[in-house]
Amino acid sequence: MTFAYVAALAVALLVAAPFVAHLLQRRRADERAFPPARLVAPSPPVARRRRHIDDRALYAVRTAAVLALALLGATPFVRCSSLALGRQGGASLALAIVLDDSLSMLAEVEQKTRWDRALRAADELVDGAREGDAIGVVLAGSPPRIALAPTTDLAAARSVVRSLSPSHRATDLEGALELAHSIVHGLPQPDRRVVLLSDLSDGHSDGPPLGESREIPLWIPLTDLAKPAPNCAVLRADRQRDRATVRVGCFPADAGRQRSIEVYAGDHVVGRTPLPDEAGAIDVGVELTGASGDLMARVTGKDAIRADDAAPVLATTGGLSIAIVADPAGAKLVTGGAPPVEQALAALALDVRLRPLPLVPDRLEDLAGFAGVVIEDPPGFTPEARRSLTAWVDRGGVVLLALGPHAPLAPLGANFEPLVPGSIGWGPSPAPGLDDKASVLFGSAAAGLVDFRPRGRATIDPSLLGSAAQVTARWKDGAPWLIERPVGRGYVFVLTVPTSPDESDLALRPAFLMLLDRVVDATRTRNGAYRITVGEAWTFEGAKSLQVVGPEKNKLPITDEPTRKVVVPDRIGTYELGLDGDKLTRVVAASEKEVDQRPRRVSPDTRASSLGDTRAKIDLSPYLAIGLLALLVGELALRLRARRASSVDAERAAPVA
Amino acid sequence: MATPLRSIDWGSIAPLRLRARALADGVYAGAHRSLRRGPGVEFGGHREYVPGDDLRWLDHRALLRHDKLLVREFETETDRGLRLIVDASASMAYRGSQAPAAKFAFAALLAGALARIALASGDPVGLEWIGGTTVRPLPATSGREAFERVVGALESASTGGDLRLDAAALDQAFGAIARRAKRGTIIVLLSDLIDLPDEALDRFAALGLGGRVLLAVQVLDHDELTFPFQGTVRLRGLEGGAVVETDADATRERYLAKLDAIAEEWSAKLTYHGGQFVRASTSDDPAEIVRRAVSAVAGRFTHGHDA
Repeated sequence: MTFAYVAALAVALLVAAPFVAHLLQRRRADERAFPPARLVAPSPPVARRRRHIDDRALYAVRTAAVLALALLGATPFVRCSSLALGRQGGASLALAIVLDDSLSMLAEVEQKTRWDRALRAADELVDGAREGDAIGVVLAGSPPRIALAPTTDLAAARSVVRSLSPSHRATDLEGALELAHSIVHGLPQPDRRVVLLSDLSDGHSDGPPLGESREIPLWIPLTDLAKPAPNCAVLRADRQRDRATVRVGCFPADAGRQRSIEVYAGDHVVGRTPLPDEAGAIDVGVELTGASGDLMARVTGKDAIRADDAAPVLATTGGLSIAIVADPAGAKLVTGGAPPVEQALAALALDVRLRPLPLVPDRLEDLAGFAGVVIEDPPGFTPEARRSLTAWVDRGGVVLLALGPHAPLAPLGANFEPLVPGSIGWGPSPAPGLDDKASVLFGSAAAGLVDFRPRGRATIDPSLLGSAAQVTARWKDGAPWLIERPVGRGYVFVLTVPTSPDESDLALRPAFLMLLDRVVDATRTRNGAYRITVGEAWTFEGAKSLQVVGPEKNKLPITDEPTRKVVVPDRIGTYELGLDGDKLTRVVAASEKEVDQRPRRVSPDTRASSLGDTRAKIDLSPYLAIGLLALLVGELALRLRARRASSVDAERAAPVA
Repeated sequence: MATPLRSIDWGSIAPLRLRARALADGVYAGAHRSLRRGPGVEFGGHREYVPGDDLRWLDHRALLRHDKLLVREFETETDRGLRLIVDASASMAYRGSQAPAAKFAFAALLAGALARIALASGDPVGLEWIGGTTVRPLPATSGREAFERVVGALESASTGGDLRLDAAALDQAFGAIARRAKRGTIIVLLSDLIDLPDEALDRFAALGLGGRVLLAVQVLDHDELTFPFQGTVRLRGLEGGAVVETDADATRERYLAKLDAIAEEWSAKLTYHGGQFVRASTSDDPAEIVRRAVSAVAGRFTHGHDA
């Protein structure tokens, strides 16, 4: 028995003090004989108040106060299921909390989501921090983000942690850990720690173990979060005529047993297909009957994650739609098949839907379904085509215009305004190959264009392009090879050589694929892909106004950059966009990686007991002290109330009857 | 409870002998003028009629002359017996912290002094009790032995009884006097008047009919008159079982007002019936109280009924 215990017991004896004091105070007045007692009026407020409820309350408060004082003297600790960090010699700690806010963290286990448990653990870690500790928070949903830069303001850290909410993002544990290490690496605290609160399912279960050979130790306390929870997710759904193709992922593979995919039109089921017993990640075809309006694909039954059980069915493919306008005669291959630009785009597998067009449409409505257009060696544009093309580009369309020998052969009234101002010539290239600066654009692939020798090249007067235009690649003689130019919200790539194999071997060079990738990327950026994976960004170059309303009818924050607006949705579902007065609908799909709940391997060092404990010893002293203060305030209030009541009674008793 | 008598300062009282007042004349000696006015041989003046006056003395001539009911009064020589009624109920045993003796002892002292004065004048003295234990009523007697008997009866009495519960206590005292006291008898009630039954005042006032003279001496303790308590006190009545817990500071004025109300009620009622009321504190000089009592009775005979 330590001195503290003895002292606490001694103080505990004082518990009886209020009782004794109360008895002394409550002691009846000495009864004395007084013959005219019947003439004396009793005065209840003063004489009886000691027996009144107020006194009992005061007694209770005082007793509780002394009891709290006794307990406070004992500095009690309680063990509870709470996280506590181990400290090396009691030194201050720099702590990076990596909180997984991905979709898989929404899995419910024992009526609580993994996120709830992880957030509570983070809260406990912050509560366990001491003055001088620095705490930072990193979110592991893809892409990893810093929710809180390391700070010693524990109140701010607590506030930030409690304000966090889960998302439907994919998981990027490695990126998040890297970020966490970077934010605590240079801090002055001698003891630095990274705590990972995650289910460890990042889709790379075969990756290297986490926490190996790290300078800053990694602690993964919530190991039970990695227990797999049966779940099936509808990743995406596309409709082609009377058939919907629904991408479904189940984990474990038999989680889809006795479950089906149903397609709803409103409240009516218009198609249904059972899932195979061993589903895994598969495409399920659903025949639709009488389908009209907006469709929604759902997986029947219940599983651990409800948020991914449904996805809208898109009438067209959810990826980008790009039109290829090429003269079949000029762009054809000897071996047959589509023009090389079309085949190259398909080979890149950029989730792009390609559609060949014979001509540039004269009507804007015909172009509205496309995010980009690749035009191969056009002989100029008719006024109608120019008008529709200009309006379409102005609203965010992206054009890759590959000029060829037909460029100077534009018929009367046809030209390339406003995409390319001025007249365009065609002739053999005086200097073969591109200059060295092309490597800025194409990197190592630029080497393949050093000896590029086309049959001819288009000539453009750069002075007419305007200040907004930028020559991103040049021939060795300085003439433009690739010109990029923003028009309205759209973007125009002008290539001074065609892609036809008859004119050059550009289509065979790696730089060509990089060019197409750049065009597709610009197409995504300018239009905002119709369907993206959660965590990716919608970027709208040149947008003047943008509003995004999420599936929960909440407005998303818009990031204004100098020339564009960026939105990063973190929930799967359908979004309503208002873009420069146009109303658009966009879809955010779940990441297929999140379906795979196999946990990432971790180093045994991450479970070392020296890093922390999941059953913390909590010092109750601060809470007792606060309680004691509250009791003292309560006593003051009771006494004040009693005093007021006494004065009121005295005023009432003052007049003589 | 037997209460020892305190020695009386006879020197201050002796000058108050009834004889020296030249207002009374005993039946036996006939040398003193009566203490009362009433039927007699020597005309003593007129006074206004009050209910209860003997209609034989109504002055018809004065009625015709002044259109007022006037009664003729005569200075008479008659038996001026003194009947003492001493309250020996439980409340009279009270003795406050500053009092020299219990209320009963003070009342007994006053009774003995009055008896001595009366006996010294040759007037018979009788003694009746209200409440009390081991009390011994005394018929009206005179002579040298009478004073010793009165004092002996006072000394042997013990306080006790609850008058608010014992309605017969009044009957015993007042009934005997009503039946035996003659006209002109002086009836002195020595009591705290606190715990007397509600009808006590009316019945005592009724004793004044038939030419008897009433005097009520309220004997109170100093504490009863001042209510000196402070803070919360718990008070137990000696009669009636009343127990009151109160804030003395807050209720003092109301208590004193009630106490004064009792005195005013007795005073008014007795005055109406030709009686007198004297309040005494046990801390007062008993000689002064006796002097006031004698003066009150003497004034009654000198000036007739007080208004």
